[in-house]
Amino acid sequence: MSAPTDVMVAEPQAPDPAPAAPARDERWLRAGKLAVRWIAAILGAMIIFSVLVSFQGANPLEVFADMWVSTFQRPRSLTEIFIRMAPITLAALAVVLPARAGMMNVGGEGQVIVGAVGAAGVGLAFDQTLPGGLVMVLMAVGAIVAGAAWAGIAALLRLVFNVNEAVTTLLLNFVALDLLLFLIYQPWRESAAAQPSTREVAVAAQLPTLGSTGVTVGIIVAVAAVIVLGWALTRTRWGYRLGVVGGNPEAARRAAMPVTMLLLSALLVGGALAGLAGWIELSAVELKLRPGFGTQIGYIGFLASWLARHRPLPVLVASFVLAALSVAADSLQLDSGLPASTINILTALLLVAVLGWTTMKGKKT
Amino acid sequence: MSIIIDVASGGVRGGTSILYAATGETISERAGVINLGTEGSMLAGALAAYMVSSQTGNPWLGVAVGAFAGALISSVHAVLVVKRKANQFASGLAVLFLSLGLTSLFGSSYVGKTITPFTVWDVPLLSDIPWIGPILFQQDPLVYLSYLVVPLVWFVLFRTRAGLLVRTAGERSEALTVHGFSVQRVRMAAVIAGGVLAGVGGAHLSIAYTNSWFENMVAGRGFIAVALVIFASWSPLKVFGGAYLFGAALSLGPALQARGYEINQFALHVIPFVLTLTVLAALGRRTISAAPAELKRVFENAPPDP
Amino acid sequence: MTPESTSDAVTPLLKIGGFTKRFADVVANDDVGFDVRAGEVHALVGENGAGKSTLLKMIYGVYTPDSGWMLVEDHEATPGSPAEARALGIGMVFQDLRLVPALTVTENIALAMDTGWNLKLDALATRVSDASQRFGLGVDPAALVRHLSIGERQRVEILKVLMTGAKLVILDEPTSVLAPQEVDALLGVVRHLRDQGLGIVIVTHKLREVRAIADRVTVLRGGKTVLVGATPGDYTDDELIEAMVGRSVPPLIALRDAVDTAVPPALLMEGVSANSDRGHQALTSVTLRVYPGELVGVAGVAGSGQRELCEVAMGLRDASAGTISVSGSPVTNPKTAATAGAVCVPEDPVADSVVSRLSVLEHMPLDGRPIPASGLGVAWALIRRRTDEANAKLGLRMAPKHRKLSELSGGNIQRVILTRELALDSTLVVAAYPSRGLDAANVRRTQEVLLEARSRGAGVLMVSEDLDELMSMADRIVVMHDGHISGEVPAAAFDRQRLGQLMVEGVS
Repeated sequence: MSAPTDVMVAEPQAPDPAPAAPARDERWLRAGKLAVRWIAAILGAMIIFSVLVSFQGANPLEVFADMWVSTFQRPRSLTEIFIRMAPITLAALAVVLPARAGMMNVGGEGQVIVGAVGAAGVGLAFDQTLPGGLVMVLMAVGAIVAGAAWAGIAALLRLVFNVNEAVTTLLLNFVALDLLLFLIYQPWRESAAAQPSTREVAVAAQLPTLGSTGVTVGIIVAVAAVIVLGWALTRTRWGYRLGVVGGNPEAARRAAMPVTMLLLSALLVGGALAGLAGWIELSAVELKLRPGFGTQIGYIGFLASWLARHRPLPVLVASFVLAALSVAADSLQLDSGLPASTINILTALLLVAVLGWTTMKGKKT
Repeated sequence: MSIIIDVASGGVRGGTSILYAATGETISERAGVINLGTEGSMLAGALAAYMVSSQTGNPWLGVAVGAFAGALISSVHAVLVVKRKANQFASGLAVLFLSLGLTSLFGSSYVGKTITPFTVWDVPLLSDIPWIGPILFQQDPLVYLSYLVVPLVWFVLFRTRAGLLVRTAGERSEALTVHGFSVQRVRMAAVIAGGVLAGVGGAHLSIAYTNSWFENMVAGRGFIAVALVIFASWSPLKVFGGAYLFGAALSLGPALQARGYEINQFALHVIPFVLTLTVLAALGRRTISAAPAELKRVFENAPPDP
Repeated sequence: MTPESTSDAVTPLLKIGGFTKRFADVVANDDVGFDVRAGEVHALVGENGAGKSTLLKMIYGVYTPDSGWMLVEDHEATPGSPAEARALGIGMVFQDLRLVPALTVTENIALAMDTGWNLKLDALATRVSDASQRFGLGVDPAALVRHLSIGERQRVEILKVLMTGAKLVILDEPTSVLAPQEVDALLGVVRHLRDQGLGIVIVTHKLREVRAIADRVTVLRGGKTVLVGATPGDYTDDELIEAMVGRSVPPLIALRDAVDTAVPPALLMEGVSANSDRGHQALTSVTLRVYPGELVGVAGVAGSGQRELCEVAMGLRDASAGTISVSGSPVTNPKTAATAGAVCVPEDPVADSVVSRLSVLEHMPLDGRPIPASGLGVAWALIRRRTDEANAKLGLRMAPKHRKLSELSGGNIQRVILTRELALDSTLVVAAYPSRGLDAANVRRTQEVLLEARSRGAGVLMVSEDLDELMSMADRIVVMHDGHISGEVPAAAFDRQRLGQLMVEGVS
């Protein structure tokens, strides 16, 4: 028998050694297995997608080739990916944070829309009178407040009336959509003659681009949010407490933690982040409110958060992938003649694969 | 007074698709699985029924295939949640997106096609009863079918062995294991049965109610169905009232506009959602305590996966 | 591997031999064998971890033995599943009852029966009530199981097993959840069943019950049989105890110093009422004092308000009436209780205190005290040092600090919680079932730690289901009955019968 190596897990009864991390070999093995599962999951999703697309008479290889070319090889497409990635990242963080506290925020969609409505309300009111930079900041504040307030409704229902937040945030998405449509069909409509929409916010209040790239500073806001949130969740007492509440609220209560305030803070900050996503979408991409504004950013953010297993840094990667897919979706329509929402199949299959086939369970000793 | 009859009969007509879906979701939730993918099953059912009835001219065949499509979509959720232990909310949304994509891919060529829809058929004698007749018995055949299906689901859940197994899966699944049943199989079956009914609900929407197909036509009805199950406190019979209430809220707008009232349609469209939220808040703690015990666990603690 | 030829005059209902079962490198059962005859009660005794439940699970088809043979009425049969075991006429009543609380008695029994697709609940209810009368069980078929007491639920389980045609009934520690008088009722039922010709296996670790009911006894220790099918009358108590634990256990010496009642009490509850989670009144005007340097035991049938009592004392549950204070400071929420110096070992640590994806170290700040801060972050270095100190001080040999709680067994989790709470400098210790899930050595160490807390001047309120444990440690035992304190007995007057009456009837 060979000498025992550090691969062996210490017996719980044994005297306490220094708190060692799992052995190096074991970690590599786990990482390797995980990588294989991820690759298999992605390949599986692509294969099923190919089969489905070929049912509709399209050649899957051509479809993938078109998607690749249009996504990564056209000059503006990388710019486009970064532009779309910013709101998706923020919407994903809006899921990450409540998930840490054990809550399911399915309401990113509504919070993004209401955030944009808040930003637009501030912008349309002041962009003719105040300096552009100030309006920009005020719009961001408006978006944060509106997004947080929208999530706050769900928080109120959960904390006071004990209604599950997954159900309420979901329903509030539809209310938010009706609110948006109500506003742009009547009170905020630019002209009864044209398509229903608001006017564009003044150029000075729009988000500036980074140098000559065409990428707006939205991506900087998103990356900064990822870094700050990642730090807050892993390095602060607030993050530690959220983790405890999310793991076992009763344990948190018994440890004299302010559970209600922690849950509230997670949902409100989450809503604020989604609101910021709405602000960026408004002042960097759409420039005005119109029907179909910000479609599915909230849901795509939800998927990104789950793809990243609710960890801030991987959220960046997941958001990039999903932004790229959404750019690719346009090429589906233009080059392959398939409806743009066909891309949802690929997105969903990816998530199905990740949800179902990339977890590893440990054993009790 | 005709407006009341209009709204009420419109409520039955418009509520029936939600009724089917909510009844299906009741089965699933009684087994301890919440399925946000109900929306997706409805979409799949709507498109499949539309395709088949446009190809064959037989709406009944459409309903059958719609039910099958709904089951197919919900089986993805069933496998993910039951076999792979994935988070129920995330899986439900993934399945919805899958269905959104699939139906837009396969449905794009059916937008604007003509079909043979179900038509209104007056039940002899019963349809002549004042008030009740026009509301309940001047409807399409799928509405009449729902009058049978929903009580049947109640009977199955509460009086048959299959129903007992489903309820045990939702209340205390170890008890099934102890008696040699497979919890997984019972749950899979319940979720898929829910998908069948959601598919029929979708079919009602496309080939009996709107008689059209367009992308994302279900527009949140599936989510309403999920919420409805909660405030019907997991009873199929109580789902009736809730579903018709929503149908009525949806038909209030057109009824008022037909009479020349100026109303922002979105203010009306939002009513069912606000109503659901209000009712959930009002029932709050009371409903959740009536939830099947294993479902309560899903509701109370939805921690991040790993 | 071949069955030995049976030379006994009566064919046993069940006979097993050579049962061996390994889990990884632990041998849970090593060459175990015994037999059960029709019309006898066979007691299976042994400490926790002696291998009793592994043995039962093999007989019931949950586990397959690595080797061994089993005869049912002289026919070789090793069940591969519980369903097969039931088909052989073997019925099992588990310790954690497997009934569905939301269903009625009839529906629960229907689950176990071969009813066909239509349950025909009315007809079945009649059969249930007939069978209940025949076996003297007194079960109401229409009652929701949720509304039944533990004793009643046990009888439903027994009825269920009988109605599915069991000839051999295995009762897994049926008395551990019952009050003494309920135990008597259960033993009466068991006798009745024996007289009807059924074979009964009763698992217990209480000598008194062996004496009261068993025709024969088999003792397991460390996975091996020490006594097989012995007649209890042939052995003295000491001999049986030694067979179970392998060495005679010296009684715990609990020095009881005089308690100073002139100082403010460590815990003072006056006229406290509180509701349970379901909204029923669970505590009714409870008045209770625990003085510094005093250990007060709480006895009572499970569910008599012990949980609520502990939670109210810790500020975890709002009192609907009355006042609570710890060392003179009023308690209204967990924070005030912690600030006043209270610590708590919860009744159900996994549900109440464990965050499975966090490590042992990350559980250490969850003691209700302010989290040690380092800037905006947590001062993990300080906590690490304190944890090592606590571990050395308590000597419960806690699992390594980096282990995730999800990887630990119940006993190891209990030791983490005990180490965290009892290492703190406290004025009041509220300990609910502190020795649950621990092995003998750690049970003893935990009891010592609690007595040490008492000697250094903390007040200790200790809930236990083991009257012997309470009687050996407490200065005073208060008995809870249906949400109120039905009596209070000082150490000098401890008497099992009197405590039992207070537990069950609320009077002595």
